[in-house]
Amino acid sequence: MYLTLEKLTKTFPPRGGAGEVHAVKDADLQISQGELVTLLGPSGCGKTTTLRMIAGFEFPTSGRILLDGKEINTLPPNKRDMSMVFQSYAIFPHLNIFENIAYGLHVQRISKSEVERRVGAVLELVELTGYEKRAPNQLSGGQQQRVALARALVMEPKVLLMDEPLSNLDAKLRESMRTEIRRIQRSLGITSVYVTHDQIEAMTLSDRVVVMNKGLIEQVGSPVEVYRYPQTRFVADFIGRANFIDATVTRGLPGQLAVQVYGQTLHLSNVKEVYSEGARLILIARPEMILVNSQGELPGIVRRASYLGNMVDYDIEVGGQLISVVDTDPRHTAIHAEGAAVGVSLLADCVHVLPG
Amino acid sequence: MTDIPSGHKPEIPPGRSPVSRFAGLVHRYREFALISRDPVLFMSLLFCGLFLLVFVFFPLARAISSGFINKEGLFDLKYFARYFDSYYGPVMRQIFWNTIRMGVLSSVIGTLLGFVFAFAMVRCQIPGKRWVHLIAMVPTVSPPFAIALSTILLFGRNGLITKQLLGLNYNVYGMQGLVFVQVITFFTVSYLILRAMLERLNPAMEEAAESLGAGRFHVFRTIILPLLIPGLAGSVLLLFVESLADLGNPMFIAGNMTVLSTQIFLAVIGEYDYQKASALAFVLLVPTLFVFLVQRYYVNRRSYISVTGKPSGSAPVEKSRLIRWTCIAITYLGCIFIILLYATVVYSSFTSAWGVNYAPTLRWWNDALTRGVEAILDTTFLSALGTPVAALIGMVIAFLIVRKKFSGKEILDFGSNLGGAVPGTILGIGFILAFKKGRVVMASILYAILALFFIFFATPSRREQVIMLILGTGIGLAVHFLAPQLGLKPLMYTYSGIYLGLAVISLVRRRKLGFYTFLGIAAYSALFNLVDIIAVPIAVAGRNMERGFWSSALYQMADYIKVPFQLSPVLLGMALLFITALVVRSENSRLRLPLGVIALALPCVLFYHGMPLALTSTPYIILAAYIVRSLPASVRAGVAALQQIDPSIEEASQILGADAQYTFRKVTLPLILPALLAGLIFSFTRHMTSLSAIIFLVTARWRIVTASIMSDFEQVGLMGASAYSTIIIVLVLIAIGVINLITRRVLRGRGDVDISMGA
Repeated sequence: MYLTLEKLTKTFPPRGGAGEVHAVKDADLQISQGELVTLLGPSGCGKTTTLRMIAGFEFPTSGRILLDGKEINTLPPNKRDMSMVFQSYAIFPHLNIFENIAYGLHVQRISKSEVERRVGAVLELVELTGYEKRAPNQLSGGQQQRVALARALVMEPKVLLMDEPLSNLDAKLRESMRTEIRRIQRSLGITSVYVTHDQIEAMTLSDRVVVMNKGLIEQVGSPVEVYRYPQTRFVADFIGRANFIDATVTRGLPGQLAVQVYGQTLHLSNVKEVYSEGARLILIARPEMILVNSQGELPGIVRRASYLGNMVDYDIEVGGQLISVVDTDPRHTAIHAEGAAVGVSLLADCVHVLPG
Repeated sequence: MTDIPSGHKPEIPPGRSPVSRFAGLVHRYREFALISRDPVLFMSLLFCGLFLLVFVFFPLARAISSGFINKEGLFDLKYFARYFDSYYGPVMRQIFWNTIRMGVLSSVIGTLLGFVFAFAMVRCQIPGKRWVHLIAMVPTVSPPFAIALSTILLFGRNGLITKQLLGLNYNVYGMQGLVFVQVITFFTVSYLILRAMLERLNPAMEEAAESLGAGRFHVFRTIILPLLIPGLAGSVLLLFVESLADLGNPMFIAGNMTVLSTQIFLAVIGEYDYQKASALAFVLLVPTLFVFLVQRYYVNRRSYISVTGKPSGSAPVEKSRLIRWTCIAITYLGCIFIILLYATVVYSSFTSAWGVNYAPTLRWWNDALTRGVEAILDTTFLSALGTPVAALIGMVIAFLIVRKKFSGKEILDFGSNLGGAVPGTILGIGFILAFKKGRVVMASILYAILALFFIFFATPSRREQVIMLILGTGIGLAVHFLAPQLGLKPLMYTYSGIYLGLAVISLVRRRKLGFYTFLGIAAYSALFNLVDIIAVPIAVAGRNMERGFWSSALYQMADYIKVPFQLSPVLLGMALLFITALVVRSENSRLRLPLGVIALALPCVLFYHGMPLALTSTPYIILAAYIVRSLPASVRAGVAALQQIDPSIEEASQILGADAQYTFRKVTLPLILPALLAGLIFSFTRHMTSLSAIIFLVTARWRIVTASIMSDFEQVGLMGASAYSTIIIVLVLIAIGVINLITRRVLRGRGDVDISMGA
């Protein structure tokens, strides 16, 4: 593995009578060369602290960080051969665009002609050719963002770190920069660690997503894996929308799992795990994995219906619980009015199961 | 760090369990270890800490404690009891209430005037904004009694306006005149505070209130005023303290009325009774310190506006014409008064006899530039010498406060502000009491701290540390006790030889750092004596010339050349320990131990030489007082500049491969340069115009203009004082101009130095 975190832990000192704060606890992660891995989680989950430990701005309290097989725990940031794109861009306000991008190359005392060649190439890559002499405050937010990216890329770093680089841009620009970053990262094959709290950003950008919560890594997987097979209730809830439905096992044979839901029996043939009879489970059903029609298996009443053009978004009361349902193809089905009695069916082969 | 909101729920329940206390200690130690890993940082922290210990905490402690201790060294509340007895009581209480009344009146009226100025500037589109601002700033660059002087000239018994023009027999001396003078002198602070607050007041809030149906006056009463309360309160408190601490104006214009600051002055100068002076200083210190703490820990925290930072667009124009024109009129009137007062100062310095004969004359200027040239040159030289030191220490402290985490940060912050916040008279008394005799205990404490720093810094081996400490200190003390009469001159020659020897050894062993350092120290030690070879002929040449400007100037010059080279022994010892610790640390052979022993023993002798820390009558005590007084302004400028720099800018430089030193040189320094230059201006201005802190420290050899005017007023006279004041103002303005010019050159239009930050 190229970049490895082993039982990485960071504890912050107690402050103002409070106890110690475990910002990151026993994080294990392996990142291979050329991969883009996203650290995803709500604010305070430890994702930025993890990134800052990789960068060398914070030293781990315990655990190890290995780059290319070598431990770099207490190596200062300037010796790590990484570069970083900051949330605030951190462009040097007293230097022009060329000097900003060439800063790291000047530190390395690279020849003038080589600096000019590399800065020119990277400016072309981020489509800012011709802006060399501008001052940073003459650039728009999106352009500043690309300068920050160019300044990191020009170093040809072993690892590229990005700390919520798009959070200060407006929605449209964010979308286009997202694809831009992915395109450049792929074409250069740079190993990258990307921190975000935006699940859509994580889903569209990453080879793998690391979902973090309260300093712990909840799940590591491809975007498809974390969406379809969340390993914890937190992951299911944080990524996309999910209904959590209590169920009891009536038959636990492998491949023939049967559960009792709202008094009805449901056969879940896709589940591989074995459960003992009578065990309590939680079914995770995404809103689009539930069908609604006039006569489904479970009787329900429509409490809210919002027509969004490409879909209809329902809250349906089933067995005393409100369930979110999305009808993604409303052209072919009737739109149920609020208060209407409907039938709801769970798509048994899509439903994911967690022990209750 | 963005991941840890300040309100983050701790996983361990709060409480003072032994475990969490232990964890806290462990973290303290870790922070300390992290800082000590960076030698430059650690040394600057130690340096700043020791500076504050010696020149702020130690003298202040002396100033306070000596009020409670009589000549026999016993606890004694004699002077405090006087407030309650029937003999002294009435007068003592009268003076106390005079002081409070003066403070309240000056601070409230000053704040009102400051508010009107601020409101006119921000909300009334006053024509000639730039000029109004500059005129409002003038009182901050003038000596502390200039306004009193011109007020006497204009409104005194022989006043141009009261007597000559109006024919009145008006008596300006007393409370009225004093409050008027203090208001003009101190309102600038209030104007700056309130202006900044008004500019940051979000107009959307007022618009919201108006859209909800509130009228102009209602908006003012319910929105603007409550939001400005922290600013108004802060301004009143600050002005109250300034007014209480003011010595110059009451001395000139209080007439028969006495206030605490003048009472203290008279206790020292007239009665030589330091216990009385200290006791009175304590009475003055209590309200001051109270206000300082309230300001620091309450008002600043309650501020709703200043925390949000950016000014929000352009402020709306006041809609009521009555309010607008009233504010503008008062502001213009204020400006005219200020111009008039300062013009009077300048004009009177060219007048034969004010009130009697207005014929122009150069007599006063001639006097000032011949008889007074020593004082002018001494003041300028010491002010200028202290300026870079103060600005540098200020920046270092600001950097430590803003960027670093360590225990005791609060103390550093507090201490750096304290010396400038307490009334100058108290600091002056403290300096006299602390540094008039030899202070063996204090010198020992300093030596102990620095020796411990030295051994831990120089070598990682526990065995070498112990040997260095015992042997080095032992040899040092042995030399001290065996040769107690050893003069400083032969000692410094000897040192020069020893360090030269060390330099040669380093050269042979090809240690570049060691060679240059030791060679430098050897040369410096030799210059301690050799500088006389240069200085004495200059002094003789000065003496032999015809008495006048140049003869005095040359004679003084001889003294100035010596100042950097004939440092008092303790300060020299401290500097030597700092510098040689680096060299010993870089030596990693068996030579490290003997080298460390010698490098510790030599400064040790200096710490106990003669009367350690007896700094009175040396220029260093005045320099230290200057620096302590101007430090808060430099620190504030540095803190403001550093807080504006996003820490990730420095991190960006680091991750692009730059080390701490490169980052500081190429990123941090260019970004804080405007603040550094502004710090230079504040410091110089503060030094040139300070009076109360140094009035007890001047001697026949080292004279300060402001102090000489005060103490020799009968001799100097009103017009002479005007000439001196004009010279001080001109010198300060020249310095501001020069530094501004440098700033423009260096910054190439990236910004300007804002002199208002230092007020």
